[in-house]
Formats: sequence, C-alpha cells, structure tokens
Amino acid sequence: MSKTVTRARIAASLCAFISAAAVGLVGPQAASAQEKPELRIAAIVSVTGAASALGAPERNAVALFDKIWSARTDLPFRVKVISYDDGSDPTKAVSLTRKAIEEDKAHVVVCCTTTPSSMAILDTVKAAKITMISMASNAAIVEPAADRPFTFKTPTSDKLMLQRTLNYMKRHGINKIGFFGLEDAYGEGGLKELQTVAKETGIDFASAERFARQDTNFTPQALRLKQAGLDAIYIHAIPPSADLAHEALKRVGYTGPIYHGAGSSINAFVDIGKANVEGAIIGVGALNVYDQIAKDNPLGPVLAKFAELYDGTYGKGKVDLFAGQSWDAMLLAVNAYQNMSEGAAMRDDLAGTRVAIKDAMEKTREWPGVNGVFNITSSDHLGLDKRSTFLSQIKGGRFVLIEE
Amino acid sequence: MLDTLSFLLIDGITNGAVYGLLALSLIVIYTVTRVVNIAQGEYVTLGALSFASALSGSFNLLSGLVAAGLAAFALRDVADKHLGASARIRVLLIRSAWIAGVLATAFAASRFPGSYWLAVLASLAATASLGTLTYRLTVEPVSGASPVVLLIVSVGVYMVLHGAAVLIWGAEPRSVPPVVEGGVSLGPVFIAYQSLWICGIAVLAMGGLYAFSERTLMGQALQATAVNRVGAQLCGIPVRLAGQLSFAIGAGFSALSGLLLAPLITANYDMGLPIGLKGFVAAALGGIVEYPTALIGVMLVGLTESFSAFQVSAFRDVIVFLMVIPILLWRNAVRPPEAHEH
Repeated sequence: MSKTVTRARIAASLCAFISAAAVGLVGPQAASAQEKPELRIAAIVSVTGAASALGAPERNAVALFDKIWSARTDLPFRVKVISYDDGSDPTKAVSLTRKAIEEDKAHVVVCCTTTPSSMAILDTVKAAKITMISMASNAAIVEPAADRPFTFKTPTSDKLMLQRTLNYMKRHGINKIGFFGLEDAYGEGGLKELQTVAKETGIDFASAERFARQDTNFTPQALRLKQAGLDAIYIHAIPPSADLAHEALKRVGYTGPIYHGAGSSINAFVDIGKANVEGAIIGVGALNVYDQIAKDNPLGPVLAKFAELYDGTYGKGKVDLFAGQSWDAMLLAVNAYQNMSEGAAMRDDLAGTRVAIKDAMEKTREWPGVNGVFNITSSDHLGLDKRSTFLSQIKGGRFVLIEE
Repeated sequence: MLDTLSFLLIDGITNGAVYGLLALSLIVIYTVTRVVNIAQGEYVTLGALSFASALSGSFNLLSGLVAAGLAAFALRDVADKHLGASARIRVLLIRSAWIAGVLATAFAASRFPGSYWLAVLASLAATASLGTLTYRLTVEPVSGASPVVLLIVSVGVYMVLHGAAVLIWGAEPRSVPPVVEGGVSLGPVFIAYQSLWICGIAVLAMGGLYAFSERTLMGQALQATAVNRVGAQLCGIPVRLAGQLSFAIGAGFSALSGLLLAPLITANYDMGLPIGLKGFVAAALGGIVEYPTALIGVMLVGLTESFSAFQVSAFRDVIVFLMVIPILLWRNAVRPPEAHEH
C-alpha cells in the first residue's frame, strides 16, 4: 500500500517537474515569438560576377550586421536577415527580389550592388509596395522620387562627387577633360553627370572613350585620349578594369593627372594596381579616410565604431566604402522600422508595415551613417549633401585625404 | 600618326596571338572529336588562376581534384576484364606516373613559392589533365552523338567549370607578375616584355604543334582521326585515345594563353568566356578545321579589335562579333555545306 502511494507520488512529482520544465523551456520562447514582431530584411548582394570586388565587402558587412542584430534581445522586435547573391546579373536580381517579397515575406529589400541590377528591380518593388535600399551609385536609381516612391539608396551620388572633383580641378587650372569609363549603365550614368557638371563648372568636356569590365585591352582607347590634348582624364569604372585603364594611360605615355570616380574608392584598387596607380586622385567617401578627417566632423564617431567592428572581424585595415554601403542600408531600415508610427499595431499586416517603413524612411533627419548625414524627404530619396564627399590621393598604397 | 599605328599594330598582334592559341585549341578538339567547345575559354581562366595560386605558394586545389579524377579512371581501366596481366601492370604504371606527375608539380610549386616556371608547369599539367578528364567524363559516353548534342554538353561543362573556378578561388581578381618586368621603348612606342613573350611563346607553341602532328606517329594518328574517324578506327588507331589527347592539347594551349595574359589583365574567374568567343570568331574563318586560315583569322580579329577600339570604342565588340556574319557568308561561298563531312 505504502509502496503504491510512494510510486504515485514519484510519478506525480515527475509529471509536475517535466511539465514545469516544459513550460520553463518552451513557454517563454513561444511567448516571446508571439509577442515580438519580426523585421525581415532581404539583402541581395553581388558576391560573384563582374561586381564581386564591391559585393564581397558588402556581404561581409551584412554578415556582421546579422551577427550583431539577430542576437539582440533588448529590442521590442527581432531582426531576421535573408542573404542572397545575384551574381552581378540583373535578371537574377529580379527573380531573387520576387522570391524575397513572395516567399520570405521581407519588409525591406536591400538591393543591389550594381546600377543595372538596381534599375532592373525598380518595377518589381514599386508593384509590391516594398521599400528598396540600393547600394549602387547612379542617381537615376532614385530620381525622380515621384516615379520611384519605394526606392532609396546609400552611396553618395555621382553628381555630388563630381561637383567636388571638378571644382577641385578648376581650382588647379584644369580646363579641358576627357572621360574614360565603363560602357554599361554605371559608366553611362557617370558620363551624363560629368557632362552636366562640367558645363556648370565651366570646364571643357572634350572626349569620351569606353571599355567593358572584361576587356583584355585598353591601349587603343588610352592612345586616343592621350592624343586629344587633355589637361586631365576622369576614369569612371570599378577595379580591376579601373586599374587596367589607369595603367594603359601611363603605358601610352600620358603624363597628366588622372582622376577616378567613387567606383575606385576601394582597397582592391590599390591591391591590384600597386605602384602603377600611385598618384591617382580619387573621389572617396568618409570611410576611406575615416582616420584622417577633422575631429569635429559629425561622422567621426559613427565611422570609428563601424571601422572597429569591421576590422575586428575581418582583419585590420580591411574596412572600405562598399562595406559601408550595405551597413548603412541595413541600419537605415532598422531606424525606419523603429520610427514607424503605430509600429506595434502593424504586426500582422505585412503590406501595411511595408508602406509604414517607407513613410518612416522619408522622415529620416540628420541621421549619421558611414556614408554621410542622411536627410531623406519625399522628394529627395538620397538625402546626402556635400558633407559625404572627400577627395584623396594614392600615396604609398594608401588613400590620403586631400585637404581643401 | 605612325606611333599610333605601331601601337595599335603591336596591340592587335599581341591579342591575336592569345586568340590564336584559343583558335588552335578549338580546331584540334573539333577536328578530332566534333565538339564545338564552348567551354574552351574556361581553360584560360583555370590556367591563369591555378598559375596565380601556384605562384603565391598555396597548393593548387585543382591539381588535387584532377589527380583524384585520374585515379578514379585508372581504377576503372585496370579493372577492365579484357586486359591481360602484363597489360594491366603497364596501364597501372602509366596512370600512376601521370597522377604522380600532376601532384609532384603542384607540390613542388607550393614548396618553392614564386618560382615562375614550376608554377607554369604545375598549372599546365593540371589543366591539360583536366582536359582529358572532361573528355572521358562528358564526351566519351556520347561520342557517337550529333555535333549539336556535343555542343550542348560543352555548354554544361562551361557552367560547371565556371562555377568551380568561383568555388575554388573566390571572386576577387588576383594580380600576377609578368615573366620579366618592364618593356622596351621603340621611340615613343612602349612594348611590354610580356607582349613579346606572348607572341614568342604562341609562335613556339604553334610550331611545336605543327612538328608534332607532321613528324610523330601519334600526331599523324591524330590527323588521321580528324580526317576520317571510322577509317582511322579500322586502321587500328585508338580513337578514344586520340580524343583524350586532343582535349589535353586544347586545354593545355588555352591554359598557356591564360597564364601569359594574366599579368596584363589580372587573373579572375570571369576572364575566359569573351576570349574563348573571340578565338571562336577567328577559328570560324577556317571553318574550325583549317589551321592556316584560322591564323589569318586571329590576326584579323586582333587587329580589328584594336583599331575599332581606337576609332569607335563604344562599338568595338559589336564590330568584332559582327565579323562572324561576313565570315560565314564567305565560307559558304567558297566551300558549300555539302562538301563538309557531317
């Protein structure tokens, strides 16, 4: 009799213990999963393909963001990052964007590394009414804002960069320039801006030569530019073709100054070009020269923090502008989500949340990112000003800030 | 004006030499096996990348993969029931020596980082062996199929090799030092030594191929297979072996052009396809069968590219690839399709 009672007691206490443990283990998790809404960001980056030199650091920054933000428990929401590689292929970018919208039910799409891919997904994101943050430089991605209500971007525009570069040229007595750039949407966009800014600045735009990312030979075009009698040549490309174009100009005996657009503001430019690109003047973002900018610059603390995080994970001196593009894009999305009006009420309404994030994006004020200070409005979807551009020169294999 | 002309000429000839090696590879492979090899450009990439990694002193992963593949086929060959004991030992010895050769060159190159010619050897051994592997894996099982089937197979091979290059080496471009730094200045015209090396080695390689196919028994067997496959088989020429050999030569030649070109444009996984296609345009002039006409073709392609890049840089590729149409019309006129053996 007593034996049976003891057994029953043991069984009962065991049951109680197991159920308590089950509640203890599973309960809070299940409860928090229900309570905390989830912010899903799809990052589509060109890790492979022609733009891989830019995509690789972007992917690194996305992974870094994922590591830090997915683990955070102090937030009223959870962050989920979905990562894809579009292979620098616009067609693939479109299908991955669709997948992110339909299957992953993403709230924000961070896409794409290249201008052609970014242009390709414009209609898809507009139709789905989902916020897209591009990491490509061409201004046409976000302009006009009335036609592209859901599209934002982080890199400073070619226009701001060219205004700084050409003003610098003008002050140094350069009156006649030529263009040497890629023949895709990135290069053509740069060419168009260069022509406009040159006219505004009063610099004579004399000739344009083009090449492709996979070209094996840059000499003929370089030769033609040399013979045009220019004061300076502006290269609008990305490594390695930017390096090869630079080397070709030197090989044919061109001795004047060579300027580069922001596509070259990446460590790979120096790694590939080595001594050959010494002396090149490059329009850069704050991140390239973060340890050299003035102490009172509002970007200083943000830059130092990101550089420390990135270098801490991927090795010293590895941080570059393109890592900053995806980093800013991810953080802008989080910032907008936090500032979204009546955020909690939107939990189950995917379409509503997507639109609310876009509205919150347009209310970003004086937000310091690694690219510059963002002031996004409904008519300006870039939101950067000239505080985001710097000029630097390659000296001893480093980007050295040019004090103006 | 004269400077410009000589600059463009040298440029065109250098590129022509690169495309020439490609065109010869395409022709060797097509005549012997009837494969229009779309994947040809990938051997350029693999050659350049394995050269770059051998130079930097890391063990070339491709060599390891190729050796494993060779070992697998060696096992199959040795297990062949029709072989006698002595033949088995001979096959085993030859295959072991081959595998050892591929691994030894790769190992030697990784032990002595920076030794140029060891790296060249390791890269060529790995890529040429990969050629035979590709043949045995993808062409031999369907060797009787129509040229269209073989073409589609080669598209598949292209995709696999392209992806493999990204997996093994990653997407970042690697800079490669030239054979000899610097160059000579002829008046205002600067010629990089590397350009001279490219032209010199291309001529040597072509001469070597000519001597091989004219003067050696193996070369003549290859020629016989190219002229008439069934006839060659009836005469006791091992057609499969000829196919393997042609793929080895084709892959080796393309790899050679890749590692010669790499110092000028960096080695990256994406470099092969456009070079392969331009080699194809040149080979088309000779109907992918005639060597001398193809050599005229490569110079034509190289010079057209160079001069059109100077005149209208935005359209240079358009002009080069548009050349295929008049070339095909011309081929059709001088040699109507009935005369081809299909």
